Amino acid sequence: MNASNPIPGDYTAFRATVREFLASALTPELARAGERTTSVFSDFEAGRQWQSALHARGWGAPEWPLEHGGTGWDIQQRYIFLEECRLANAPNPVMMGIQMLGPMLMHFGTEAQKAAYLPGIISGDDIWCQGYSEPGSGSDLASLKTTADRDGDEYVVNGTKIWTSMAHYSNWIFCLVRTDKNVKPQAGISFLLIDMATPGITVTPFSSLDGEVEQCQVFFEDVRVPVSNLLGEENQGWTVAKYLLEFERGGQHFTIDLKKQLRKLQRLVASEANAAAEDPTFAFRIAETEIDVMALEQTELRIKGSVAAGEHPGALSSLVKVSGTELGQQCAELLIEAAGQGAMPWQSEVLAPDYQGPTAAPEECVTTMAEYINSRATTIYGGTAEIQRGIIAKHVLGL
Amino acid sequence: MTEDQVLLQDAAERYLRDSYDFNARRERLAQGVYTDPQHWQAFAEMGWLALPVPEHLDGLGLGTREGAILAELCGRYLVTEPLIDVLAAVATLIAPSPHADVWLNGVVSGELITIAAIDEGAGRRKERPSTTLTHTGAGWQLTGTKQWVSAGASATHFIVLASGDKGLAWVLCPRDAAGVECATFPTHDGRGGANVGFDTRVEEHHILLSGEPAQAALEAYRELAITLSSAETLGAAHAALNATVEYTKQRVQFGQPLASFQALQHRMANMLIQVELTRSLVYAACDAADGDTPDRFRFARAAKVKASTVGRKVSQEAIQLHGGIATTDEYIVGHFFKRITALESWVCSRSEALREFMAFSG
Repeated sequence: MNASNPIPGDYTAFRATVREFLASALTPELARAGERTTSVFSDFEAGRQWQSALHARGWGAPEWPLEHGGTGWDIQQRYIFLEECRLANAPNPVMMGIQMLGPMLMHFGTEAQKAAYLPGIISGDDIWCQGYSEPGSGSDLASLKTTADRDGDEYVVNGTKIWTSMAHYSNWIFCLVRTDKNVKPQAGISFLLIDMATPGITVTPFSSLDGEVEQCQVFFEDVRVPVSNLLGEENQGWTVAKYLLEFERGGQHFTIDLKKQLRKLQRLVASEANAAAEDPTFAFRIAETEIDVMALEQTELRIKGSVAAGEHPGALSSLVKVSGTELGQQCAELLIEAAGQGAMPWQSEVLAPDYQGPTAAPEECVTTMAEYINSRATTIYGGTAEIQRGIIAKHVLGL
Repeated sequence: MTEDQVLLQDAAERYLRDSYDFNARRERLAQGVYTDPQHWQAFAEMGWLALPVPEHLDGLGLGTREGAILAELCGRYLVTEPLIDVLAAVATLIAPSPHADVWLNGVVSGELITIAAIDEGAGRRKERPSTTLTHTGAGWQLTGTKQWVSAGASATHFIVLASGDKGLAWVLCPRDAAGVECATFPTHDGRGGANVGFDTRVEEHHILLSGEPAQAALEAYRELAITLSSAETLGAAHAALNATVEYTKQRVQFGQPLASFQALQHRMANMLIQVELTRSLVYAACDAADGDTPDRFRFARAAKVKASTVGRKVSQEAIQLHGGIATTDEYIVGHFFKRITALESWVCSRSEALREFMAFSG
């Protein structure tokens, strides 16, 4: 067994095909947008263009099954594709539709729903956002209060959703709403697909700590949604949402980006007159972080191996998120220390893919501070590190 | 794991679970018996001692991964017999040595317990031993003192690293030979160490290797020892975590099991996360060693650093989460803690491993 690849087989030709595509389709502007990405999301337009290029090549949703426009790639091919895209600095399209809604639609959707929504998701023509969290319902998601009251063939939705990433660019939202207040919280939730153009919806974007706008609050006031937009049965919404957690498990690869961060760090430290480079303890900290990244990479490979063998990775996948996000924060910290005051200039316009002007920060540090700031959110969104540890304690350790 | 590896693991686990009782271990150690002859004989009969011996020398010809399977179980069951010590030292007996097979049969059958004697105490460099092998009119003479020979009290023979006329030399020396002074002492991890003085005549066939092959064997010994010690640490750390989980489920305070408190749950979740990350790296180090890949040296050291860091943290947490009971000698958890601590500095310490990792990373 090869230490770096648990799956036997020769993927050289496949990798070459991916590289060839990237060399022609990934324009310098798109690669620049990818390089200047400081959070989960790249420049929106660049991401949209890239999704459309992928879709044109038939690679719009590599993880999906063939019949819905997927690629039929095995797990190693999907990994290679992701790795090559990341290394080439391909931008990140808004992925809530492809990564989250798609699998749920395929599993719970009616034929009519699949036909109506899947093509728009994979082409990138429809941009979906996720309406789960509310001002009063974060980690305790099941306490959500946005209501959907049945009125004939429609639901009438009232309430508000927050942390709705990219809602200001989205034309659809998938929402968890309360359809029964008289049962235990999880049992009274339904899953609704809502057209953002429906009257009564207001989107209020707000800035994150780095000054960029990705997050929104969405308000619903007597928003009328056809009953046919219900995904799954009424009051089955919690089951629909939980299915995604199962689907997602093991699909996360943090180390591709962590290794990129480490390489950036080494370049920075190797550059002339870097203050951190003169501190011998800094080199030890980098080495220790590198070892932790190696351990995570081997864990991701173990998961990949067990998924490829048709097993359920179980315990392993739940710890990858905790470890991957915390290591990302550790790398981001080392990077701002290495960058020093060079990371301080705050110049939003340099993040635009077509920006040609001078940069106040050294070229290699223009995104360092924003990446550090945004890294704090990684242990909060998608289930906080505390929620993840609770899951490990309960489901793995049986506490 | 391959099917054969699963079989090896299952059989070894069955033996240790059924026969390696913690209380019997305590009583035996109280009498100064570090190596139980019955256990050692069983290890030999199960083929464990033949594991790294090549097939053409009548061994099993198995790799680091198989050794690590046993080492991990040794950690879990707190085996005091010097299994990883003897397995690593086989490297000095299987190198292109003219006299190897004379001794190997005895090692494999369990008759000889061969322990590498390298250290000469604080401040001495391992690769330049002051112990010498010199040619005299009458033959060869081994002179010098080895200190803190881990598991030395269990040895029937020492494999001594000496400076000879062609550079390094490995000399096999019976413990009961004339001119060998062996002073043993108990160690905190349930073993017996030894300080050994040599001023003894050596027969030609006791000189296993000298010069370049001796240097290569030292490196091979070290590589195997580093990874096996990481694997044993992994096994001990995981066992300490399991004991903690079980205990906190039983122990009731404030009217509820300790395991119901979130502050403790999250600490145990952290222990699990770190143990599993360590496992990935230790197994990867084994695969790199067995695959003879160029990055095997980096992987071995990365695994050693990770296992040492995690082993220390997890075993400390295990004591803390248990409370007072884990500070007693009759409870098992403190013994994982002590063995992990001993392994941390055995052959290659955490800080040496980290520095070497950085050097290999260039």
